[in-house]
Amino acid sequence: MKKAIRRRHFAAAVLAVCIAVAAVTASLALASSHKKTANIAALKPALNGSGENLTNGKRGGVLTEYQSEDFAHLDPGESYFDLDYQVMYATQLPLYEYLPNSESKLEPMLAVGMPVISNHGLTVTVHIKSNVHFSPPVNRAVTSSDVAYAIERSANPNVANPYFQPYFGFIKGAAKATGGPISGIQTPNPTTIVFQLTQPEDALLEGALQMPATMPVPKEFASQYDAQKPTQYGTTYEAFTGPYMLKSDATGKFAGIGYNPGKNAILVRNPSWHVGETPQPAYLDEIDINIGGASQTIGLQVLHGSDSVQNDTPTNANVQLAYTQFYNQLQAVPGAGDHYVALDNVHGPFKNVWLRRAFWAALDRGAMLKIAGGSIVGQVGTHFIYPGNGGFAQAGGLAGPKVAWNLHPNGSLAAAQALMKQGGFKSGKYTGSAVVKVVGANNGNSPEQIAVVKQALTELGFKVSVAEVDQSVMYTKFCGTPKEEIDVCPTVGWIRDFADPQTTLFVPFYGPAITATNNSNWGQVGGPGSGEQALNKAMEQAAVAPASKSNAAWAKVDEMLVNQAVAVPWIFDNQPYIESANVRGINDLWNTGSYDYAYTSLK
Amino acid sequence: MTAYIIRRILWGLLLLVLVVAVTFLVFYLLPAANPAILRAGRNANPQIIATITKELGLDRPIYTQFWIYVKNIVLHLNFGFSYYYNVPVGSLLLNRLPATISLTVGAAVLWIVIGIPIGIVSAIKRRTWLDRMAMGTALVFVSAPVFWLGLIALLLAAQTIGVFHVFPGIGSYVGLTVNPLKWLESLLLPWMVLSATQCAIYARLVRGSLLQVMGEDYIRTARAKGLTERRVVLKHGMRSAVGPLVTVLGLDIAALLGGAILTESVFDIPGIGRLQLDAIGHSDIPIIQGTVLVASIFIIIANILVDIAYAYLDPRVRFE
Repeated sequence: MKKAIRRRHFAAAVLAVCIAVAAVTASLALASSHKKTANIAALKPALNGSGENLTNGKRGGVLTEYQSEDFAHLDPGESYFDLDYQVMYATQLPLYEYLPNSESKLEPMLAVGMPVISNHGLTVTVHIKSNVHFSPPVNRAVTSSDVAYAIERSANPNVANPYFQPYFGFIKGAAKATGGPISGIQTPNPTTIVFQLTQPEDALLEGALQMPATMPVPKEFASQYDAQKPTQYGTTYEAFTGPYMLKSDATGKFAGIGYNPGKNAILVRNPSWHVGETPQPAYLDEIDINIGGASQTIGLQVLHGSDSVQNDTPTNANVQLAYTQFYNQLQAVPGAGDHYVALDNVHGPFKNVWLRRAFWAALDRGAMLKIAGGSIVGQVGTHFIYPGNGGFAQAGGLAGPKVAWNLHPNGSLAAAQALMKQGGFKSGKYTGSAVVKVVGANNGNSPEQIAVVKQALTELGFKVSVAEVDQSVMYTKFCGTPKEEIDVCPTVGWIRDFADPQTTLFVPFYGPAITATNNSNWGQVGGPGSGEQALNKAMEQAAVAPASKSNAAWAKVDEMLVNQAVAVPWIFDNQPYIESANVRGINDLWNTGSYDYAYTSLK
Repeated sequence: MTAYIIRRILWGLLLLVLVVAVTFLVFYLLPAANPAILRAGRNANPQIIATITKELGLDRPIYTQFWIYVKNIVLHLNFGFSYYYNVPVGSLLLNRLPATISLTVGAAVLWIVIGIPIGIVSAIKRRTWLDRMAMGTALVFVSAPVFWLGLIALLLAAQTIGVFHVFPGIGSYVGLTVNPLKWLESLLLPWMVLSATQCAIYARLVRGSLLQVMGEDYIRTARAKGLTERRVVLKHGMRSAVGPLVTVLGLDIAALLGGAILTESVFDIPGIGRLQLDAIGHSDIPIIQGTVLVASIFIIIANILVDIAYAYLDPRVRFE
């Protein structure tokens, strides 16, 4: 009897513990889900960084920045990633830079005044400041030769710059450059650099002069490291010209001191930089970058804590929590790229333009956006030049071109079937034998978005085979490899390099740019057999259009892309960022809204 | 005994070579992504990828690549070069090891100091409310996954997001040599979380083992000789009961030194486990191989040490 009572007590105790644990878990989950269910679509827009005041910040303090992802390259010759850019533009001076609150207005940084174009757009001259110095141990003043070397070393295979040829390849002698002097880059005196071009690509070069490849590099210091495979400049040693520098020792070594891969980075003030030399106010004394951690927990810590920002994409739950409870701590910055469904224009059923148009009409783009996080994280995509780019308004703005397949953001089966009929399918449904191969990413919201795509295809009568893989695998092994002949890639996206619409449209849609591996023209638009040679021709003409007519020319290209329904845009991305209450975060509108350390301050 | 130890070490070395060969084959024959593309960065053009492929020797036959890899490890302790971080893998491993050792050793001390006494008390007070409460609680912790427990602990007790602002939040880890006090503070919560599950397992293990031993004849003899119960349990009972514990302890510590992936990830501790997880995400093969090798070394060393320890703890064990 006594034993039975004891057993009952024990059972009751275990039950009580279980109930207590379940109650704690349930209450946490309930609190979380309650916040999740807020209807964000109907509420006022989030702050978007457009009204940022770049002056009157408080000087001093240490900002802690959390990012779960690591940097890719901290060498100005290699950097090509928004996280890298944040460190690059705070620690180095390019010739030009967009101000944080502008998507397209170039401001001279190392340069004095805007570039001088002459010789019918074939010569570009830039004058630079004489009072900018490199950080220790170099210490000397920056000259035009340092800018020339910075661009020349970008062609060095040990540096492996990914954009040298498209943006600098039209400088005389650059096409075959491998890191040595380039005949078309001349430095007649220490404060002047002249670019001689093979064709009048002056407008594109002007935009490219804000890329990190123009950040000066001292040859006498860097060449010994550039001779190594791969270069150790930017991975172990570096000389800085910006208001901040990666914490380094007396030899200029920052690896293991100011940067520990996958762990942290520390930016401190550059002793060679002085207030007033360049436009940045550089309010903060130090920026401690913490790499790693779970995004959800980081976000909560930032919202509830102080002196900190989350630098990569917060979870949907945290975005909604911030929107409903920490409204002033959320920025949703527009112009952060676009996503579209790539369709194979060369093989399979979507070689037929009418089927592409029908699929566009059938796709519920509103549902795709809702899955991504709703109106805070973007607007329904309606064409290919996205907000913040030159030519966006000429290309139709947010509403986009008024063609039959673009009129129904939530998808219209009736409109789609009418287009199918024009494509030769009298029943309004696909009756061919092809099985449509769909490959998408398996992370985040992608699987649900793939399901929406699959539904649209199925409604149109297609048989569908879906593969969900890691995002990098999707790009490298499937969508970026033309011989795989993937019919539909629903989760690909593009971010411009700078405000010139050419950087948005050229690589992903120009036929001759198709490569056998690492191809970024996922739909093989304009490729052999696509019948879109007029599109290629229009791009070639837009590329050399005078600066005053460039945006209109690219808007015309955009219109052609929509008419041919080469792919189906479904979101103009906003990039959400969250910060602590006492942080006056300044987001770079031109760099997908990343925090600009040189302007951000503490309250 | 010396011959036994030498034999075990040689077998261990052979095992290491096999581990290296298997991981090399797995990751090189079935790569998730092209290492040259990883090294080249985003949107690299095919020419750059081709150049890097040649520079990294990825165009050479697989047996040549394997030979170079093994030769570099054996002759130069060179574990290769990380495609993603652009730094030698060896320096990354050395950089991350202190955090993992700190986490593992601290947690091990906690789970031994708490788990073993609980197990002993449960065994001695068998079927009392104390035993049942201890074992019931142990059951809850054994069932709780570390990542869940870690998140709950943070939501309850982290200074930043917790209901009670007691311990530092995630990302607060600092090295022991940098600031010993902050090091201690930052690890208290991870230690508790990591040791909670282990503590429960060890308590149950000790209880079971001790209960079995306490029924043996020599324990009855010890009691008959008039020894105190404390001496009977701690000197005679535990000496035999501790055997299985040593085996498990050695392997547990070795496995954690090879990477406490979940705990390090939840608390953002930059150790071997998080390095491993990140490397898997980036398909950074040299790091994956390096961390697998480090984990294997720890496991093999632990196995050898456990076997040696067994001989001292249990006189019935013979090497020959």
